[in-house]
Amino acid sequence: MVGGFRWAAMFPDEVWEHVFSFLPADADRNAAALVCRAWYRLERRSRWRVFVGNCYAVEPAAAVRRFPEVRAAAIKGKPHFADFNLVPSDWGGGAEAWVEAMAEGWPHLEELRLKRMVVSDDCLELIARCFKNFKVLSLVSCEGFSTAGLAAIAANCRYLRELDLHENEVEDNCLHWMSHFPESCTSLVTLNIACLEGEVNVSVLERLIGRCPNLKTLRLNHSVPLERLVGLLHRAPQLVDLGTGKYAAQHHPELFSRLESAIAGCKNLKGLSGFWEAGPTFLPAIYSVCEGLTSLNLSYATIQGPELIKLISRCKNLQRLWVMDLIEDEGLIAVAASCKLLQELRVFPSDPYGAAQPISLTEHGLVAISAGCPMLHSVLYFCRQMTNAALLTVAKNCPNFTCFRLCIMEPHTPDYITRQPLDAGFSAIVESCKHLRRLSLSGLLTDLVFKSIGASANRLEMLSVAFAGDGDAGLHYILSGCKNLRKLEIRDCPFGDKPLLDNAAKLETMRSLWMSSCSVTLGACRQLARKMPLLNVEVINERKRGLPLELQPDNCPVEKLYIYRTVAGPRSDTPSCVWILR
Amino acid sequence: MSTTETGNSSTTESAVSGLDYEETQLTLAASGASRSELERKRGFSEGVDLSLETKDFLSGSSDEAPISGAGEPSAAKAQVVGWPPVRSFRRNVLKSCTYVKVAVDGTPYLRKVDLEAHAGYQQLLTALEEMFSCFTARNYPNERLVDPVNGTEYVPTYEDKDGDWMLIGDVPWKVRSSSNFTGNIKGFGSHVEAINKEELEGAISTIHGKHHSTENNLVECCDGCLSLHANGFVDEKLRSCRFSSKNTHRLHHCKVNWDPQHLQTMQS
Repeated sequence: MVGGFRWAAMFPDEVWEHVFSFLPADADRNAAALVCRAWYRLERRSRWRVFVGNCYAVEPAAAVRRFPEVRAAAIKGKPHFADFNLVPSDWGGGAEAWVEAMAEGWPHLEELRLKRMVVSDDCLELIARCFKNFKVLSLVSCEGFSTAGLAAIAANCRYLRELDLHENEVEDNCLHWMSHFPESCTSLVTLNIACLEGEVNVSVLERLIGRCPNLKTLRLNHSVPLERLVGLLHRAPQLVDLGTGKYAAQHHPELFSRLESAIAGCKNLKGLSGFWEAGPTFLPAIYSVCEGLTSLNLSYATIQGPELIKLISRCKNLQRLWVMDLIEDEGLIAVAASCKLLQELRVFPSDPYGAAQPISLTEHGLVAISAGCPMLHSVLYFCRQMTNAALLTVAKNCPNFTCFRLCIMEPHTPDYITRQPLDAGFSAIVESCKHLRRLSLSGLLTDLVFKSIGASANRLEMLSVAFAGDGDAGLHYILSGCKNLRKLEIRDCPFGDKPLLDNAAKLETMRSLWMSSCSVTLGACRQLARKMPLLNVEVINERKRGLPLELQPDNCPVEKLYIYRTVAGPRSDTPSCVWILR
Repeated sequence: MSTTETGNSSTTESAVSGLDYEETQLTLAASGASRSELERKRGFSEGVDLSLETKDFLSGSSDEAPISGAGEPSAAKAQVVGWPPVRSFRRNVLKSCTYVKVAVDGTPYLRKVDLEAHAGYQQLLTALEEMFSCFTARNYPNERLVDPVNGTEYVPTYEDKDGDWMLIGDVPWKVRSSSNFTGNIKGFGSHVEAINKEELEGAISTIHGKHHSTENNLVECCDGCLSLHANGFVDEKLRSCRFSSKNTHRLHHCKVNWDPQHLQTMQS
């Protein structure tokens, strides 16, 4: 590599590092690092942000060693289906190994973002103690810690800017954790405690946010009563993003007007969320800021359609809307008429288990949105019925989808008019939306839809499949197509051994594959593991009856399978229900 | 029977005096079905709305049962694990809405029943029968506290945010391994610790057993409140825990309030 070596020596290292600083994307940096040894060396010393999509893909110490100057790290743990209780609770994803390695090798770490990991209070205390310049802690869908751990963060992270707790399971054992923020803490920009279940000392909170002039995001939990919201807003009129606490109280004209004026006083408000227990009474208090809103999350508010329409019609600049299906088709038609800048829509089910009266949210609402909102590119939609015709229309209206997740709540539901599978509809989506990165399928689907996806979904990175397909061909289409597929998660589909073994090499190009309640046998997994040393083939068997897995025959069915590429070899923290095949 | 929606005037109340249940009209509405904005709780206003007329309620026959509203609720149809794909966090918030308050005229406290826990009307009726049969059958199996002086039985109740007195235990407590409920009972000079409902009752019964109270005696306990965390969400504020005498209409005023200042900080 003589030519390369000379070339790199043309400039001093500092110049190259400066050049590399213009490469923020990891993919570009990874490519640069492969050019020559000199560039590898230079790039690794100048990378200060790492993203680890699978905490078991690499040894923590190795990652820390390779990039010694890291200031910001993001790490993900459990597979996505853990959100829906499909992954055993003791599966893994513990953060200790990473936090210990980082404490050792990245003492200057400023930002840590963890998703779907098990984070203990010990971890939080280690973070609080070891990183002197720590500024940002973001925990999303994590568990294993308590408010005592948060107290340690509050007490010791002197420059804390962001404490962002999103949908974590937090044990509440330290009532006064927020009192541990010292008087000298004035640097908070983001405080999101919406997922905490316990009481919050609102007076302490008031004093805290009163001394943090840069606070932009404040998301309260539902223990904060509406009356106290007024005081909090008075102390933080500069807020850009507000998550209310409990949004209900005894009707009181004085409270209403105080609330209304407090909210109106927040001239920079762009995002609203929370609205626990919200009813129609106090909703009009936010009317004054509706025009400026770009993000509105009403998905925890069981407000009815008419009230929702009154509210959302005022939000002419809305870009993101999360709402319950109580909005119904009529409400979505109103949204389509009013919110022309809408980019992301999520409609959640108010009654996932179907016990209540049916709600009039159908394919018509989705079609209306697709027709009325030209900038729409991300959809999550829970409904009970769908037609191919509707999906074809949506595909034609919205060729710019990057994320399309449709959940028809009853498995195997066909087109309710033609009784046909929904292959044609979803095929239209993938054929029309050339930039589709994420897709979730539902309804009655045959192998045909997978043929379309394999052939057309060239930018697809994540695919979720449930209760679909006829046989092996379906999986084969996906694995042999979808050039950019990173994550594939499948449940309750009749996919078996052959497509896995035929496409073993594909699995090394992906981050992970999850298959549960499919038709995979232990023998195929053993073969795969032997053939592909850079994959961890994890077989999860929760039933624990009969022979241990090593003694089971090849034709033993595998209930849950999680395969991921790794350079770290088999992990050492597997629980008794997980076997890593070699 | 009547619903317990305060201010809900659309339910008819049977002319029940004392413990006469010959003719009862059962109307249930989900917690969120209140018409009045004031009573808006975490619930769905289009939740299950059942209307059932039955004679001889306690004997279990419910042949004449005109069902209006939602029709046969399929509250417990076989649920596939993890489907539909709604995050546990979100599901916990929604789940709270399937608890319904049930009151029987003339009884000293109300009960809560989880509609999702019963597969259909028949099962729900049976469960309700059992819940309220203690008032006639006098065979309540979980006798815990008996006043040695006058033989009155006590059960622990709490006052919820509507001002209704509810029997403790219908909404399951989240029993966490390191959680304690501690409080001081003033007047008794005793400190109580309990990790779950059984222990709480046992502890209180021990204390209570040392003192006898007669009807109309007011025994003050300390101030404060304790939040009950049920199934991952704060369901009711336990503002005061009162021991109600069963089988009478008058409530004995032994109030047990929990002082949050005395709640211990847990060591991890």
